[in-house]
Amino acid sequence: MQDYSFNEYFDRFPLAMAYVPWQHLSSIFEDLDAAYKKGTIFPELEKPFTGRRCVK
Amino acid sequence: MNNMMNSEKERLYHDIGVIDFVVVEMTEYLDTHPTDKEAMEYLNHYVRMKNQAMREYAMKFGPLRISDADSCNQNEWKWATQDWPWNGGC
Repeated sequence: MQDYSFNEYFDRFPLAMAYVPWQHLSSIFEDLDAAYKKGTIFPELEKPFTGRRCVK
Repeated sequence: MNNMMNSEKERLYHDIGVIDFVVVEMTEYLDTHPTDKEAMEYLNHYVRMKNQAMREYAMKFGPLRISDADSCNQNEWKWATQDWPWNGGC
């Protein structure tokens, strides 16, 4: 992880609108045991945290 | 025999946990999509499945919630005599 000092660059960050798109039900996982372990029954919400994607 | 009983108990308890997870997930979805009929059908299906599994568990091993106490052997108040969670019960 890079060590960013957010306070230092704060005045350079543009303001943004945050949004949360609506979930649309497609199906639920067939293997519910596996879904239980993944932490969701909805395939569209399976977002494993890799610890990498937000860098840069 | 005791071993088999235990594994059936554990399996059933695990299944109840998984089914209950589906119920919680579907409930949360319906909180934001209260008119989604397909989701309601899913929810009703899994609520029924959970109640059935809860009754089966109560009948075989003792009630997990007091509303299933009527599914138990009426010769013994299992709610009071079964193992407590901190004693290895569910």
